[in-house]
Amino acid sequence: MRKKFTVAALCAAMVIGSFAGCGKKEAGGDKVINVMSFTEEIPNMVQEYLDKHPELGYKMKKTVVATTNGEYQPALDEMLKSKDSAPDIYGLEAAFVLKYTQGDAAGFAATYDSLGIKTEESLKAAEIATYASEIGTRPADGKVVALPYQATGGCFIYRRSLAKDTWGTDDPATIQTKIGGGSGNWDQFWVAAEQLKAKGYGIVSGDGDIWHAIENSSDSAWVVDGKLNIDPKREEFLDISKKLKDNGWHNETQDWQDGWFADMKGEGPQPIFGFFGPAWLINYTMGDNCGDNKDTPEHEGTYGDWAVCNSPVGFCWGGTYLASAKSAVDKMSDEKKTVVADIIKWVTLDTDENSLQYQWANGTFGGGDGSTKDTVASGVVMKKSDGATGFLAGQNMFEYFVPAGDYATGRNMTQYDETINQCWREAVRAYVAGDVDRAGAIDKFKADVKSKINITVE
Amino acid sequence: MKKKKGVSYAKWGYIFALPFCIAYLIFMIYPIFNTFTIGFTNMTDQVQMQIAQDKMIGIEPTVQVEVLENPMENYQFVLSDPNFWSSLKNTCIIWGVNFVPQILLALALAVLFTSNRSKIRGKGAFKVLFYMPNIITAATIAMLFTKLFDYNKGPVNDILRMLGVIDENINFFSMKGASRAIVAFVQFWMWYGYTMIILISGILGISPELFEAADIDGANGWQKFFYVTLPNLKSIMLFTLVTSMIGGMTMFDIPFMIGGQGGIKGHIRTLSVYIFEMSFTGGKLYNRASAASMLVFIMIAIMAAVIFFMLRDKDEAARHKIEKAQTKAYKKALKEQKAKGGVQ
Amino acid sequence: MGKKSTGSKIAHFFIYVVLILLAVMSILPFWVMFMNATRSTPEINANALGLLPSKYLWYNKSVFDGKSFDAMTGFINSMIISAGATALAVYFSSMTAYSIVAYRWKLRRPFFTFIMAVLMIPSQIISIGFYQMMYSVGMNNNFLPLIIPSIASPAVVFYMKQYMEPALPLEIVEAARIDGAGEFFTFNRIVIPIMKPAIATQAIFAFVNKWNELFIPSVLLTDSKKYTMPMMVSLLKGDLYKVEYGSIYLGLSLTVLPLFIVYFLLSKYIIAGVALGSVKG
Repeated sequence: MRKKFTVAALCAAMVIGSFAGCGKKEAGGDKVINVMSFTEEIPNMVQEYLDKHPELGYKMKKTVVATTNGEYQPALDEMLKSKDSAPDIYGLEAAFVLKYTQGDAAGFAATYDSLGIKTEESLKAAEIATYASEIGTRPADGKVVALPYQATGGCFIYRRSLAKDTWGTDDPATIQTKIGGGSGNWDQFWVAAEQLKAKGYGIVSGDGDIWHAIENSSDSAWVVDGKLNIDPKREEFLDISKKLKDNGWHNETQDWQDGWFADMKGEGPQPIFGFFGPAWLINYTMGDNCGDNKDTPEHEGTYGDWAVCNSPVGFCWGGTYLASAKSAVDKMSDEKKTVVADIIKWVTLDTDENSLQYQWANGTFGGGDGSTKDTVASGVVMKKSDGATGFLAGQNMFEYFVPAGDYATGRNMTQYDETINQCWREAVRAYVAGDVDRAGAIDKFKADVKSKINITVE
Repeated sequence: MKKKKGVSYAKWGYIFALPFCIAYLIFMIYPIFNTFTIGFTNMTDQVQMQIAQDKMIGIEPTVQVEVLENPMENYQFVLSDPNFWSSLKNTCIIWGVNFVPQILLALALAVLFTSNRSKIRGKGAFKVLFYMPNIITAATIAMLFTKLFDYNKGPVNDILRMLGVIDENINFFSMKGASRAIVAFVQFWMWYGYTMIILISGILGISPELFEAADIDGANGWQKFFYVTLPNLKSIMLFTLVTSMIGGMTMFDIPFMIGGQGGIKGHIRTLSVYIFEMSFTGGKLYNRASAASMLVFIMIAIMAAVIFFMLRDKDEAARHKIEKAQTKAYKKALKEQKAKGGVQ
Repeated sequence: MGKKSTGSKIAHFFIYVVLILLAVMSILPFWVMFMNATRSTPEINANALGLLPSKYLWYNKSVFDGKSFDAMTGFINSMIISAGATALAVYFSSMTAYSIVAYRWKLRRPFFTFIMAVLMIPSQIISIGFYQMMYSVGMNNNFLPLIIPSIASPAVVFYMKQYMEPALPLEIVEAARIDGAGEFFTFNRIVIPIMKPAIATQAIFAFVNKWNELFIPSVLLTDSKKYTMPMMVSLLKGDLYKVEYGSIYLGLSLTVLPLFIVYFLLSKYIIAGVALGSVKG
């Protein structure tokens, strides 16, 4: 009995203690930069900048909320709504950036100009990829409110050994013609798929790989004038997905699942020729899952057996954008405004060798050893950087990834894309699995969208 | 005598129930009332955001949260949405498929572990182990089962192929029956230990005299189960049935997370997942989600009312009997200074 | 020792097979989780169901550095929230149940019906209203909105009432009154000890539920000093495109350890069996 009371008293004390602890709200203060994001990436960058400039005397207060089950957006929305806690800098992921730059929450963002950044000039001077500034521009006033640091234009990443076996060469320029790279359509790609199949190879791992390219090659967006719009190029994905499965051109994997990773190692039921993706797919995903043992100097698995060429149609996939809240900017002193502007500029627009993008491109940020080279938004930085990597047997990947950004477009996107894409891919899966017929799949898709988004569906 | 006392102490009933009521009023009534009213309005994320932005730049709000011209519009939409009905169907199927075997297994284990005659070694260890799946987070469990049944590399496919049951791998999560069965199985597996513990506590509460009497009458194990154990488990079975039904109708974590791994979500979308998707993805249509929530609430309430109606009267009667017996025994004890209590 | 028939021997054997199978299924996820905590992400991607340990435990731990993963802080925060909420839930639920069982007040029946109705409102449904209200009164980044509402836990009240009816002889209460004990004294000193087994069982359930709660804490607690363990684990997802599964499993393992301790401490009631009406036995 007494023990129970002690426990209860202890609990009570702890609760009261915690209560007292949060009685006083931490003031934003003038010497504190509030950063809100969904990963540590942006806070780390801000911290690095402040560490390099101790003379400023600024500190960072970070708020990181995971996006795992969609918790980040409600938390960010509440922060933006309240004038006191609106973040000075907040991160936006490609999947939901449109809501905050062009959609329902675009009004909360401050323009880069209002921070004192000469945005137009800097964009030109740094040669920022067009699609990136398109995504980050608010239609209401035509001003830039968010920019990324990575460039996420995508290419086709293929296995050299399978190319040699099929066409007698692994030269990117030749393979590009074989798969119709840069042609803007898929005709040649299917020819290649058949040639590969004759050798016992699949051309892609699953239909999800090809989807990003198809999605971004569409001429119109999912929502046009408040109506659901199925672009013919996106509708064609139904047939493409079925064709891939019926002909056995892929291993029927699902992106980010075991089978998909196995294909990167060449351990699927049939060897897989290639993947569609931006440079980060090589760094973050393929490099880790190609079967190479990083502890030994010799390379194993499929390391070094890859090369990059243009995709049949251009696309972009992913990316993180930086924005600043208007109500935070309105409160800032001129001095703080300059510091925030400098940080944002350093991350998104600067091009010198101390800039974030330069370090990011060369894999040296945060003391990196250069093994995670990545494409960045600035074309100027890209020209100064060398993208040669052992994973691609010494090929300079920037040669293909940088122009890939030009094929990509930010004009066929809406704030609802993440949700609508999920509905569409599910409908396609149901069609391919034989659950519904083609018309049934489109009906299912329409019903799904209708119940989640308040737009006209005909 | 007793009645008089009861009256004089009645105020304590209110006092003891007060904390519950206060906490409930503060933390629940507003959100529930909110949910109820939002269902008749135009409130979506878009409207809320617009109002907040207008406020921020200091102008009169250009839009307002207001009751719709046709207040029932959201309800009508939900009722005409095929996804709502398919979610309801999924929920009922998955719950039914998981609940029946769950209660049967839990009951069998509870009887086995409480019976004096069964000489099972390590009863305690088994009891402790069986509840363990309930400790682990749903995310881990969902991941584990997606991997087990994975199309390309899942061990289940490997084993079935090795046994010669199938020639080609099965894509479980794109199949209606299989994906529902997997979700139902996970629910079953996570909760049978919990149900078992609850039932064990119920069986142990049955007066041993009843079993002794049955022994004297020469009843066998089955007869004792049907004529002693089951009838006396009624109130605890009611608890299990009602809580499981509510848990089942609001089932969320497992179908949500398994659905999030690919496959065809529509086959395992439950009502709670439907509501979640409506209010936290896409257009964040709080108003429709609220309408859907109220509909779910009404359905659960009706189902629970039916269950209570079927079980309540007899239950109450039994309680009265016990009370009477206790009063009688108490009086007797007072008189004779000797306790002879016990349920007749 | 009486000779057993072959039939009963087979039945016995069969029972053991089923029990052991169920036990293995209970242990498996924990085993996989602990083993994966020692494996590298590529190893896990290649085969998520590793049954043997590997050598990356240290590496996985090093991933925590630089992320907002602070096991000690997360542990303390989770402990405050879960212990506080559990204590409130079992104590006040017993109290509410007692008010229904022991006193004859007029609104008793309607009140119980009301509790049953409350039990039926699914929690996700009110989450939007709940967190928006908490933000509007400035209760974000505060543990109280995660603890106090537990006072009203209708399911626990329901169980306590079902347990109390046969287990609590009202004559004991009356006897206490005759001895001049106050009502609160009677409740705290006589009723609560009788309810101990039921309290232990419900405490386990309540604690586990609270400990694993993720969505509402994630929306309400945005200050990294206030993060709970499961929130920290979900943050380990880190870069959206580079998920360190090894460290996530390590985080999950750390999250489940305290639960193990609480569970095994209270499990004697599960082993002994929580008996309804134990005082009569």
